[in-house]
Amino acid sequence: MVNYDIQVYTEVCTGCLRCQLACSDFCTKAFNPSTARIRVIVSGADCSILFTEECNECGVCVDHCFHGALQKMKREADK
Amino acid sequence: MTAGGFAGSVLYVDLTHGEIRKEPLDLALAEKFIGGFGLTVKLAFDTIKPGTDALSPDNPIVLGVGPLVGTSLPSTSRVYVVTKLPTSETIGWCGGGGVNFGYLLKNAGYDHVVIEGRADRPVYLKIIDDEVEICEAGFLWGHGVEQTCEALWKEFGRPTGVISIGQAGENLVLFSMAFIDRLSTLGRGGFGAVMGSKNLKGIVVKGSRGIKVADRKRYESLSQAFLQTIRDYPYLKEWQDLGLVKVFPMMVPKETYKRMKKRRVACVSCPIGCKDVVEIPDGDFQGLLKCTSSVINLYTPVTYGFKDYRESIKCMATLDEFGLDMFEFFGVMGLAKALVDHGLISKDRLDAEIIIDSLQSMETWARKICYREGLGHTLADGFKGILMEFGEQAKTYAPALVKGMHPYAGPGAAFSWDLFGTMELGQALDPRGPHVGSGGSPTYFAKRPLEIFPRHLKRMGAPKEAIERVLPGLESPDQEGELKVGRLLRYSHRWFSTLGCLGICARAAINRFYNASLCAEFYQAVTGIKTDLPELRKRVDRVWTLLRMANVREGLDRKAEALPEKWFEVPGFKDYLTEKPLNRQDSERMIEDYYEEWGWDRKTGVPTAHVLKELGLTKD
Repeated sequence: MVNYDIQVYTEVCTGCLRCQLACSDFCTKAFNPSTARIRVIVSGADCSILFTEECNECGVCVDHCFHGALQKMKREADK
Repeated sequence: MTAGGFAGSVLYVDLTHGEIRKEPLDLALAEKFIGGFGLTVKLAFDTIKPGTDALSPDNPIVLGVGPLVGTSLPSTSRVYVVTKLPTSETIGWCGGGGVNFGYLLKNAGYDHVVIEGRADRPVYLKIIDDEVEICEAGFLWGHGVEQTCEALWKEFGRPTGVISIGQAGENLVLFSMAFIDRLSTLGRGGFGAVMGSKNLKGIVVKGSRGIKVADRKRYESLSQAFLQTIRDYPYLKEWQDLGLVKVFPMMVPKETYKRMKKRRVACVSCPIGCKDVVEIPDGDFQGLLKCTSSVINLYTPVTYGFKDYRESIKCMATLDEFGLDMFEFFGVMGLAKALVDHGLISKDRLDAEIIIDSLQSMETWARKICYREGLGHTLADGFKGILMEFGEQAKTYAPALVKGMHPYAGPGAAFSWDLFGTMELGQALDPRGPHVGSGGSPTYFAKRPLEIFPRHLKRMGAPKEAIERVLPGLESPDQEGELKVGRLLRYSHRWFSTLGCLGICARAAINRFYNASLCAEFYQAVTGIKTDLPELRKRVDRVWTLLRMANVREGLDRKAEALPEKWFEVPGFKDYLTEKPLNRQDSERMIEDYYEEWGWDRKTGVPTAHVLKELGLTKD
């Protein structure tokens, strides 16, 4: 059980997909963004970041985000 | 069974006969030519018949993506095309940040695509894993680049990789480009027209196979340390916030950039991101949203005289939508204006005035060129077309031309830098001619101290004895230091080729973290192919020398690489170190040094039999 929530800041996401690459590699031992449990779509100025039902908030996507679009926030009860 | 990193297949598409076939990647060949840019050169060498007309069905388009593309290694996204280019009439390459296209092609299962023939109607190529189809593109024909991308994204959803041309490519404008995911360019030299000549509006790709690395343990330890180096870089945040504005604040004021910035965009796996989405904040074009390879590009019309940056962005939005090369467009318009002013083009041939710093005039002429209307028909054939129609006298007014194109850097060019470094010389010695990455080194910036060059050369993998040849006298207290620009360029070309073969971005913001030894280690970890630095060097030398041979086969000779006379006129180029005016004799020596450093004949630039044998490029 993790003690943080993943916070999403779409305004700074560049669509580099490092999160999807890392997630897919962690889960399937292959770099395959189509199997990632996080889905990022950057379209012009718009951006959406969603997590699939299989996501267990392991945080590997956050660890690979260079832009601050994904961040771990410690849960209130654990502070 | 395939090595790690590679997708494992080459796709062959014959547009004339509507035939598609998939062949397994020849791993021995992949090893010999590394992959990516290298294997693209090899496949092009084997496929292009000598003397082929660039716009004929016989000219193949060979596209390739490197073995590191699709992994999580930073900025491994590059997409390359090698074909005969119509402007330079050389076998040239175009390469761009792959945005999503590169990794999706790999995930669909293909390292390379070879497209031959000509469709009998407008088509696009659809590649979705094993589903490969030549599709009707009548509904896209006549659309601009962004409009085409949006239509295809609507059809196929996101992420979908799209390479597309605009109306300029459709109408065979010799300075038309193709765009990758509407952001990156496969440009300069007229690649858009090559696609247009095949009635090929675009390529769409989606894939779901995944890329595996051969040695996971080594990959993880190398990449973790490497990523930490980037995280620790003190200027990382500034690069991420400003992109290329960080190094060109004199072109784009930071405050203006911040006002219009809507999003910074990165190619797949890039921790920096140098692409931009901006919105014009006020004025007549308030609200115009522009996605671009870099906001710097949007200021190109300013360098040609535009006074209002908002009009400059609007102009670039028009040029990009048509799919026109901005440097060549402004160069051609400048020459046309000079010919009008000097009476070589009579005013009755003009149905619109040519005013270089006017948005309305430039948009009007962009349209005329794109649709080949009136005088626009001649201008669409670039400098070649103008000089053919208006003859020798027109040459007097033409800017310096290199391989038939307008240089982007130098006296009279968009970037009027006057110190003669590797990128300036590289404009003439790269087979494709002038382009924005034609052999950069620390000479990209003025007055860099000689002491920093050895470190740069070591990073590029140059051996110690070569460093002494590039910088004679550096270690000697009694001798004044020298910089042999031609010899340095040889190692710059090898370095950029190394990055291209692997699939790593060439932009300085990211390639600064890589070095040649690390490239060898990453390549081995990803592919499992045993590779040390000397072996990697040799393979890259093989690639660049083969590209040279492809052009020697086309008739490229020393004369074709002579520097334009206008570079020696006042104000012309200056020596990088001494700042004395560059003279023809010195420049000839630089070219000879470049050839010699490659092991090619010093006088002719033809690779010697000895070098060809050593690189395994002889038939026996």
